Amino acid sequence: MWIYFTRRLFLALAIVAVAVTLLYVMIHAVPGDPASIMLGPRATPELKAELRAKMGLDEPLPIQILGFFGDLLRGDLGTDVFTGREVGQIVFEKVPFTVTLIATSIGWAALIGIPLGCYSAIRRNTIVDKVTGVLSVSTIAIPSFVMAIYALLIFAVWLKVLPAIGAGAGGLLDTLTHLILPAFAVGVSWVGYLARVVRASMLEVLGENHVRMARAFGLPEKRIVFRYALPIAVLPTITLMGVGVAYLLSGAVFAEVVFARPGIGALIVDAVDSRNYPVVMGCVVVTTTLFVAATTLADLINALLDPRAREG
Amino acid sequence: MTDQDIRLPKAALDRRGFLKGTAAVGAGAMLANMPITRHAFAQGAKGGTLRARAYADIDALDPGFYQNAYNVDVMNCIYSKLIHYKPGREWDWELQAAESIEQVDSTHIRFKLREGMMFTGGYGEMTAEDVKFSFERIIQHDSPVKGDWGPLERVDVEDKYTGVIVLNEPFQPLWNITLPYGCGHIVSKKAVMEATKNGGNFGMEPPCFSGPYVLAEWKPDQYVKLTRNPDYTGPDEVAFDEIRIFPMDDEKTAEIAYEAGDIDYTGISLASLNRYKQDKPDNTTIREHPSLYYVWIGMNTDHPKLKDKRVRQAIQYAINVPQILQAAYFGQAEVANGIVAPGLIGHRERTIVPPEGNQAKAKQLLAEAGAEGLEVTVDTLNASKWKTIAEIAQAQLAQVGITLQINVQDSGSFWTLGMESEGDRWKDLQLIINRFSMVPDPYYATQWFTCEQVGVWNWERFCNEKYDKLHNKAVSETDPEKRDRMYREMQDIMEESGAYRFLTHEGSPIMYRNTIVEPATRPDGRPLYRYANKA
Repeated sequence: MWIYFTRRLFLALAIVAVAVTLLYVMIHAVPGDPASIMLGPRATPELKAELRAKMGLDEPLPIQILGFFGDLLRGDLGTDVFTGREVGQIVFEKVPFTVTLIATSIGWAALIGIPLGCYSAIRRNTIVDKVTGVLSVSTIAIPSFVMAIYALLIFAVWLKVLPAIGAGAGGLLDTLTHLILPAFAVGVSWVGYLARVVRASMLEVLGENHVRMARAFGLPEKRIVFRYALPIAVLPTITLMGVGVAYLLSGAVFAEVVFARPGIGALIVDAVDSRNYPVVMGCVVVTTTLFVAATTLADLINALLDPRAREG
Repeated sequence: MTDQDIRLPKAALDRRGFLKGTAAVGAGAMLANMPITRHAFAQGAKGGTLRARAYADIDALDPGFYQNAYNVDVMNCIYSKLIHYKPGREWDWELQAAESIEQVDSTHIRFKLREGMMFTGGYGEMTAEDVKFSFERIIQHDSPVKGDWGPLERVDVEDKYTGVIVLNEPFQPLWNITLPYGCGHIVSKKAVMEATKNGGNFGMEPPCFSGPYVLAEWKPDQYVKLTRNPDYTGPDEVAFDEIRIFPMDDEKTAEIAYEAGDIDYTGISLASLNRYKQDKPDNTTIREHPSLYYVWIGMNTDHPKLKDKRVRQAIQYAINVPQILQAAYFGQAEVANGIVAPGLIGHRERTIVPPEGNQAKAKQLLAEAGAEGLEVTVDTLNASKWKTIAEIAQAQLAQVGITLQINVQDSGSFWTLGMESEGDRWKDLQLIINRFSMVPDPYYATQWFTCEQVGVWNWERFCNEKYDKLHNKAVSETDPEKRDRMYREMQDIMEESGAYRFLTHEGSPIMYRNTIVEPATRPDGRPLYRYANKA
């Protein structure tokens, strides 16, 4: 297990390094000039050149990349060219908002989706299974932003029971009430998705020999489902949820814009628009690391639960 | 905030009702005693708080080094200046920190400060020395906004409260832009020197305040919280104890936030204006203001396909402006006659090419130029409004036999398209849909189209000697009528060049809760929070 763990860790670091390098090149290849945007229309060419030099943009790209990784190893993500604040500070004050949103979204989706899929599999071809199937496919098919807009209209505008914007001004209850609509919008399609995956997986497991054997021994159905079928059936969903973090990161972008929530998604959109390279790269490093960490964690959990995964 | 300020909800089930209900049912007495819960309930209370939306989050609070109007909206509350824009429908100014101000001659302006205007943090009284420091540092530190100070030479201090602003040459925008807007704010010399050592940019950390509000809290991308300045001794009696400004880039989000009751004051999109006029949210007033923006379709006069003036004029005549406005602005925007908005010196009453265009004339011009079957491109921003303008123009040009290909760009890429310093993309630029903002002096609009600006912000690469001469002359012309004529003539020259098809100045409608606030705005609808009154 330790060898597997070490191997996965090195692989994760390599993936982060490659992904960040590629993104660095891609971002700098897109036309746009932070100096012109930051200094405004009346800045002199000398002033713009000075700012570009300060940002290191006058250096060749390979030197810029090496410099970036050098700073990164020292824990320095650079300085925001607009506000003069540390990029690390800016990014890490946004990370909790995005992580909370993603964790809540996937959390409630799993809490509902997995039991729903399990129940559908046990009650296969009943009316409940069919209704669940239709609802699951519907939630997958309806784009999240449509859900977000309708949720806003119903709960914030018409009923006025939930806030429409922001992340709250502090306090647990305030934070939670501001989290409900975005988490609903981001996570709703995952309810259907997880339900379908768990149902299919459960049906497969319920048809396997060890389950038939358990039934032949006369074990109670509840025990068969929860002790012998579900732990195996749920394995693919762990991998799925790991990969899902990447989708939810992009889902968080729309939620943060529509709900005017602070977060990495909204930050990266603004930073790309203004070609605020240090902030863009700060966000890229964090999101790439989050994604790789989530998939690695999913792999490790899988390996822990299923010894076959450690082989090869 | 006092208890009397707290308004109770009338509706049976609103957010606070829901929160209270949930708390009571779910957690009962245990939660009721928790401080966080009390805090959350208190958030819903309002009365002494104005909650407004800004289209972007603040990113510069030094008046000597700022960019963008959303920063100035906050500066207006936390600093004071000699004069400020008078709230209302007509562009005018009135005294703020100055007790008096007079134009001694064309290059000298004498001011006298009110006595007893205090800086916070123990930095003492505002003096003429602070005024001198605030204005001269903009030039000394080569600020990107030093253009606003034009030919400032120095500020002479006569006594503790009196000084004279000395210019190298007359500069009329001083009264319309410099003094009443961003660069006119006065900072404490002592505080800034302590904070920066050299008097340079203090960025997002104001060392002290002199306005009726102080920056109490800034949560990036969440809100800016301004609270009443207890040390303020100036002339303005502010109505709200607190102003909370929420940055929301997306207008639709802001509109939903308003309807949900999360904010009390916001600008609304022209696309939504008609809907809101027909079906207003409760207790809401909608006010329409003309905006200072100017939108046009430009043509790169150096591009081989557009070098012939007749081809450019054909495009001017082929474009039907009212049709474009109907589609892109839902009929809520007026046709622009130039780059200078109505209400300002230099506004033109009519265009040379009729707004509806003339397809027959367009075809004739194309035939004369031998450019039938012309294929051109247009570059535009990637928002629906700009794409709609491009698509309507595409259809209109097709009717005279011109094929228009639309190139959509994100804002970071778009705003460097015509800049020579950013590579060779300017060479491929043909048509472009552009929008610039301005402040209330025509000089600000015309400065981008001089020969000096070719390849910088003048992407049409229009260069006219007479235009440049008029621009340089008009900036120091003291006779308003002569100045007015000069700016109108400059726009005639622009239009005659064929490089510009003026579209609109758009509009700046606002929506506010008339039970909470009676807003104060500039004529173009920009908020002057400091002068807002309670309803």
